[in-house]
Amino acid sequence: MTVLEEILTSSDPQVRDCALESFAASATPAMLLEEAGALEALRHRHDNLYVRVRALFFLYAIHRFYLPAKASVPQRALIPGAGVEHLLNRRFEEAIQVFLREPTSAPVSSALGMAYQREAFQTLADQVRRSVKSVRGNQWMFRCGHPLDYPLRLRPELLDHAEGGFPVLHESTPVRMDLTHSGWSDIFFLGMDFPEGARVLNVSIDLAVKGVARPPVEAFLRVIDQPVLRLTSIDLGATADLTSLRELFNFGEDYLGLLKAAVIAGGLVPPGLEGADQPLEALLAKLTGNPGYGLEIASQVNDIPKGSRLAVSTNLLASLIAVVMRATAQTRSLTGTLAEDDRRLVAARAILGEWLGGSGGGWQDSGGVWPGMKLIEGQIAQAGDIEYGISRGCLLPRHKLIELSPDTRAKLEASLVLVHGGMAQDVGPVLEMVTEKYLLRSEKEWQARQAAIGVIDEVLAALRAGDIPALGAATERNFFGPLQQIIPWATNAYTERVIARTRAEFGADFWGFWMLGGMAGGGMGFMFAPEVKARAMVRLGEILSEAKRELEAAVPFAMEPVVYNFAINEYGTRCELLRGQEALMPPGYYNLLAPALLRLDPRTLSPGRRAELERLSDASRQPGPFGQLPRVLFETLVPRSAGTVVRDALPALLEQYGFDRQQHELIRQEMRQGRIGLAQNRLPSTATLSDVDPEEIADAGRDLTPAHTKLGEEALRAGAMAVVTLAGGLGTRWTKGAGVVKALNPFAKIAGRHRDFVEVHLAKSRRVNQQIGIALPHVFTTSYLTHPGMEQARHAYEGPLFLSAGRSIGLRMVPTERDLRFAWEESRQQQLDERQQKIRASVRTALIGWAKGLGEAADYTDNLPLQCLHPVGHWYEIANLLLNGTLAQLLVERPKLQYLLVYNIDTLGAAVDPSLLGWHIASGAALTTEVIPRFIEDRGGGLAKVNGRARLVEGLALPQEELEFELSFYNSLTTWVSIPDLLRAFGLPAADLAYPERVHTAVRRLAARMPTYLTLKDVKKRWGKGQEDIYPVAQWEKLWGDMTALPELDSRFIVVPRPRGQQLKEPAQLDGWLRDGSAAYVESLGVWAG
Amino acid sequence: MNVRKAVITAAGRRQRGIPLQRVIDRDGVEKSVLRALLDEVLTGPIEELGLVVAPHDETAFLELAGEHLSRVRIIVQAESRGYGHAIACAKDFTAGEPFFHCVSDHLFVSGLPPGGLTQLLVQLAVNESCVVSAVQATPERLLTDFGAVGGQRISGRDGLYRVQAVLEKPTPTEAEQQLVVPGLRAGHYLCFFGMHVLTPLVMEWLASGEFANLSEALAKVAQRETYLATELPARRYDLGLRYGLMNAQLAVALAGPDREDVLARLVELLAVPQPVRRP
Repeated sequence: MTVLEEILTSSDPQVRDCALESFAASATPAMLLEEAGALEALRHRHDNLYVRVRALFFLYAIHRFYLPAKASVPQRALIPGAGVEHLLNRRFEEAIQVFLREPTSAPVSSALGMAYQREAFQTLADQVRRSVKSVRGNQWMFRCGHPLDYPLRLRPELLDHAEGGFPVLHESTPVRMDLTHSGWSDIFFLGMDFPEGARVLNVSIDLAVKGVARPPVEAFLRVIDQPVLRLTSIDLGATADLTSLRELFNFGEDYLGLLKAAVIAGGLVPPGLEGADQPLEALLAKLTGNPGYGLEIASQVNDIPKGSRLAVSTNLLASLIAVVMRATAQTRSLTGTLAEDDRRLVAARAILGEWLGGSGGGWQDSGGVWPGMKLIEGQIAQAGDIEYGISRGCLLPRHKLIELSPDTRAKLEASLVLVHGGMAQDVGPVLEMVTEKYLLRSEKEWQARQAAIGVIDEVLAALRAGDIPALGAATERNFFGPLQQIIPWATNAYTERVIARTRAEFGADFWGFWMLGGMAGGGMGFMFAPEVKARAMVRLGEILSEAKRELEAAVPFAMEPVVYNFAINEYGTRCELLRGQEALMPPGYYNLLAPALLRLDPRTLSPGRRAELERLSDASRQPGPFGQLPRVLFETLVPRSAGTVVRDALPALLEQYGFDRQQHELIRQEMRQGRIGLAQNRLPSTATLSDVDPEEIADAGRDLTPAHTKLGEEALRAGAMAVVTLAGGLGTRWTKGAGVVKALNPFAKIAGRHRDFVEVHLAKSRRVNQQIGIALPHVFTTSYLTHPGMEQARHAYEGPLFLSAGRSIGLRMVPTERDLRFAWEESRQQQLDERQQKIRASVRTALIGWAKGLGEAADYTDNLPLQCLHPVGHWYEIANLLLNGTLAQLLVERPKLQYLLVYNIDTLGAAVDPSLLGWHIASGAALTTEVIPRFIEDRGGGLAKVNGRARLVEGLALPQEELEFELSFYNSLTTWVSIPDLLRAFGLPAADLAYPERVHTAVRRLAARMPTYLTLKDVKKRWGKGQEDIYPVAQWEKLWGDMTALPELDSRFIVVPRPRGQQLKEPAQLDGWLRDGSAAYVESLGVWAG
Repeated sequence: MNVRKAVITAAGRRQRGIPLQRVIDRDGVEKSVLRALLDEVLTGPIEELGLVVAPHDETAFLELAGEHLSRVRIIVQAESRGYGHAIACAKDFTAGEPFFHCVSDHLFVSGLPPGGLTQLLVQLAVNESCVVSAVQATPERLLTDFGAVGGQRISGRDGLYRVQAVLEKPTPTEAEQQLVVPGLRAGHYLCFFGMHVLTPLVMEWLASGEFANLSEALAKVAQRETYLATELPARRYDLGLRYGLMNAQLAVALAGPDREDVLARLVELLAVPQPVRRP
């Protein structure tokens, strides 16, 4: 048995909990390969799920982190396209088998690492789903495949309309907060493997932004006299009458996905009916016992924004499921609180609902169903449990209610201030990182997990003693200690700034910080001495807003921060039956639906609706919740003229940034005619495209000599060099289209504090300055979006620092159906998990409808003005150096300036290297582009020979997408530029730089020779309370890499080490970047200020 | 334990007309449902039968008793207060003895001679000296029509179960959590067959008014003492369901000498072209 097999299969926890790194860091490649072979065999033969999954994670780590780092492992190889194809189609096993047939190399290891990791997560997710399906009380719903098998009947109380209208069943449910932060131990995968370590202290709370706290989520259900299923989300302002099963199972087409998931998970329409072709009417008739009757379900979230980290959506789902189960007699009680086994079933159904809806939460999230405070712990699977023999723990944890003394409860409420910081981040990557680190038992993280488990006992002891200062100290220590050791990305610059300012202002009266949920920045808790709480609530709101204002150019905020009033809820989810005059839906429902009803001819209303409107009319004359209704209705029926902010601001911005209306109209016309489009981005299929022979290009590891270093250093001393960092882009993948400045995003702690991308690049130039004894000019190119923020940021740099402002701008357009279909149906893309894929498909259908509704290739103006504009590609960022006079100024200040090092803001390892500069000078090339061996994650073209000439080819220009993996080298976009040659290409003598007209002409002339690419980018539109929609919009761009295709420019290429050339495109890459040594490499390149 | 009395309930609002319906029995003899039940119950060890009916139904029921008339005692349920109460109305009749009970809206079809099913159930109760219910594995879509039990199969005894839980008309959700019995087909539960042997204790509980229906009282039995359920070699047909009577009649006819005739008629019906429905 090999070392790692022993670790995985040992029954001794001491051995089983050993970290992979204890072996792998010092192992030779041969040893690692031998272990990998043994693990591969082990995972196929072992019958324990978690041994198999852990083997997969070990294999992933060996290939992702250890093998590629070994010097003797070849760094260059082609990744087989067939394997990539399998990966994209989620056929991970087949992909692994394809990659395993290849000789060992770093690129193939990168592919194997990804395939093993995906297979591991898929295996885990499948197991959770199997467990959810197998929970007793859920199984029948998957067997019920035809309406004739439908077994539920509505409780008779709901059909009793003797008092005028059908009664309304009203469920109100608190949300939950986690008083310990569990070290993310509520992730199913952890709880099911390590139930002893899965412990959280979970509290049900009522909330309000203003006024008295009340249950934040509510669900309503009633019978209606129309044979439809009417779903209404009051807070999202969406309603629909469903008449077919197909509509119900279509989750992505509207904002009613959560309600639909609840209807299905609640068993009202069991999941087994998906695909059945019967009308909903038949099923409703069976359910209600009356043909012609239907059901109405509405949901309402009371002022709590998305991303609160209080599990609002899970508890809303649970609330809806509870009301559905009560109505169909699946719970014992129709009204009041729920019995323990009914709560457990509602929780299990909520997990099912989350899976159906394509989302996923932790097992403590439906804690709002239970009352007050409870300890939720993982359960070891016993004989008889469905999980027994498969996983060590059960799917569902055990809830133990904790009696909190009234005194402690009062103390906690008197000290704790709950806030929403305004950030709404995707915690999915964090949860994956936690799972991975847990299963790898990485030493530091494993110790941190033990410490976090200990914190819960400390918190419990503090609560028992009523010692809130100790509680605050424990949760804050947890945040700054174990939690950040497990996931450094749990914190961020914004949170730490707020904590520091709060501490500075309140000193010893600030008892501690506490992170809610997956990561900081959204829902957070601050504990204060009771006597300062009132002041703290006011000041904290101000501190949060101030910090947000300072950072909002760089950090995506979804909303203004809010401070909540809260109270512990002692009931859990509760239900009441409203009858007679009280049988009304909430006021928000009528705000949404009544205007349309009032516009109808009263004779067309059903008797039920007419009676309801009469009751509503009576209620609106009484003081109470319906008193405001007439005013609101009047405003809705006679709306005030719509705001014109967007329409007014946009033309001014276009004017300001030099928008070319003529060119825009031309592009629109060509888009509509199909002459410009995603399909037209591609090189003609007649172009011959092949890989570049490694011998044909230089290799930094092979070809650089001390003479090059000397030459480079001399040029640097002579003042021949300047650095240009391209920072005009939107960083769409970094922020998912949030429209903030990626360059200013304080993305990671380097040298002791959070640093943004600009600081990292300046630190590298600072080191060159200190080493060579110069003051290297550093230019950051900007655009309409990034310039104001960059200007305000005022980074420290001991040398000339320039911002090169954008001079070109585009106006986004609504995409054409043809391009959307090309992107989604003809281009290769990662298939998603089964449910998510279905949801994606229905979202896309809706988006095609959206595009056709707005008009294909119409101007996109339905968003904030800045979100409607787009930069026009990094080719223009170089051209702008000429257009805005930055280059001319540089040449005046540095007459000997000859060379530019141009690199992208996300290429963190790029820096002025004397030997590379020397090589570029010695070669006499106009452009030297740095390339790196392609790994699996390097998507988007690369270095190729096109019709015999080596050049860079963008991914979207490849005649066939699969050609990408026949190219060994990926373009890092880092380019050494000889300025005279560049000016020659523009046809511009240096002296002409002083003449704007000549520069404009030169730029326009060269631009005409550059291909125009049409691209689809995601843009976020924010609305409601922290809600965000993402739309694909069309924009065009010209790209810098295409300069290498100009025959008059001598373009050379040089292979550089991966850490120098790799790019950080999205936050999910951060953890790997930290763990594979890239972060340490970048830190070593800089001299860090402050 | 000696079981010599039986109680049949026929007073329910929904069921009171059903026993008066006429069917053709397995031997091709036309008779009322009630008569068929009396033939089954009174052919075996049962000496005396209490028939619980609604007010004013006495005469109609007695007229159908035929040769069993002398052994049938009519008991009137003055108020319609549910199934449990209907049984409790026979408290004086059973007089502290264990008794056989069956419902009047079911038809039982077996290969045994009349009285065979009653004999089997009573014999089991006598041997085991406990409450016994006959059960039939039933698909979950029909759960809302029956009481159902959950429990453990008794090893070495075919079709015999120790009952641990009883629920009246459960949802599949409840059934799956409490009533799953190993060895049954997926999605099937042991639902009441409509025949029980009950003890004086059950009668006491029902008479106390503590329980709304028989299932609730039997649930308590399951917690307190041995309670068995058995699958009899028969099928029960609930005549109160939609097309219930037709279904039962077909089942009876197909089990008897008229089988081929009935099958031929069915085929004929299937072969007739259906008129197109106009909207």
